[in-house]
Amino acid sequence: MSIPALHLNKVSKDFGRIIALRNIDLDVEDGQFVSVLGRNGAGKTTLLNIICGVSKPSSGVVELFGSDPSDTINKSKLAVISHEMFLYSNLTAMENLEYYAKVYSIPNPAAKIESVLARVELTHRRFDLVGTFSRGMTQRLTIARALLHEPSLLLLDEPFTGLDQHAIGMLTSLLKEQKQMGRTILLTTHDLHIAKELSDRFVIIEKHKILHDGPMVDVTPDEIREKYFTA
Amino acid sequence: MRAALAILRKDLRMEFRSKESILAMWIFSLLIFVIFNFTFEVSRLVMLEIAPGLLWVAFIFSGMFGLNHSFAVEKENGNLRSMALMPVDGGQIFLGKFLSVTLIMLMFEVLIFPIFVIFYDLQLSLQFFLLIPVVLAGTIGFTSLGTILSAVAVHTRNQQILLSLLLWPLVSPIVIWSVNLTSMVLIGEIVPSFYSLLTRIVAFDVIFFTLAYMLFDFILED
Repeated sequence: MSIPALHLNKVSKDFGRIIALRNIDLDVEDGQFVSVLGRNGAGKTTLLNIICGVSKPSSGVVELFGSDPSDTINKSKLAVISHEMFLYSNLTAMENLEYYAKVYSIPNPAAKIESVLARVELTHRRFDLVGTFSRGMTQRLTIARALLHEPSLLLLDEPFTGLDQHAIGMLTSLLKEQKQMGRTILLTTHDLHIAKELSDRFVIIEKHKILHDGPMVDVTPDEIREKYFTA
Repeated sequence: MRAALAILRKDLRMEFRSKESILAMWIFSLLIFVIFNFTFEVSRLVMLEIAPGLLWVAFIFSGMFGLNHSFAVEKENGNLRSMALMPVDGGQIFLGKFLSVTLIMLMFEVLIFPIFVIFYDLQLSLQFFLLIPVVLAGTIGFTSLGTILSAVAVHTRNQQILLSLLLWPLVSPIVIWSVNLTSMVLIGEIVPSFYSLLTRIVAFDVIFFTLAYMLFDFILED
């Protein structure tokens, strides 16, 4: 049996008296695209923080590719895209990517940077300060930054927030591309149509527990909404 | 080491572009020197007794500004979280931040020292070269502790207050010894205790740096 890309067993997290997650069991196979749905405060972001290793669970087991998420090797296999940019406003697009390329020890960084910049259509702005970018352009650069080291696992925390239609379209097609390339993707979103379009499987978190976990095939956004809102 | 150097290069690039820290530190120190110089009309001997303390007040308060600024930049746009996600150990990240804060502070100290000499009418002599190890040791101790405590404080709402509260009690022995050593150099009385005091500061530097390097991973966690 192959090792799942992601394995969570009875994971709980509390912040003092506040419960964030309760007994989460989740296995994600290599190459699977899973959407995590849930209301604000349901625990989606906490779940992603635990998966990427920046937050430790209060109890339970978390494994990425069969080992601890905070292992250096695991960290080099994963990328996080959220509404936070993870970019420096006072550096140019190029300088930001050069910085990440060095930290992630990317071989032949110049060619890789050129290729990701071209993919997100930002080549013409590569020497401009990120502080001068629009929200959509910044998010595109954030995506370029995340894809720079060709991660095996992509964690996306509401990445569509605040994007215009063009940027949403570009991000959607990029995610489809990544899926075709066999990357494992975990997306938290409120957009059911996007979740339906992209995912193989969806998970609904409600009151800090997994309420539903099933395949996306043959489920309409309305049916998801029904589960989502009756949750 | 590659990650540490990347962080150092990134920080220096941002600082040289904005000059925010150096300029603010320099203006703040200049104000201290001007105010004290024109407020007290004292003899040269008394001034020589006050001057080392003033110099270190300028160094330390400006250094606090540099430390706060260094991590405020990381907090912006979630970069502190991106550091926690990097495939390197926390010690490397500490080293990068420590090197950038220390270099910026040393650059500022080199720029402000001639102003200090002019304002307090100090007679330069070869003995002044002894200030180099004193300033280096004092600054490294301050920035070792300051870097890790800034990373702790940046998670809170009252970052600047918390940093002062955490840093001052721990760093005060280093500052007091540095003032004493600076005083010996300025007055021109290098007593045997000079070298033992300097060794003591270096020992503190080694302890603070090692602890900070080893503990930085825990600071980056939520």
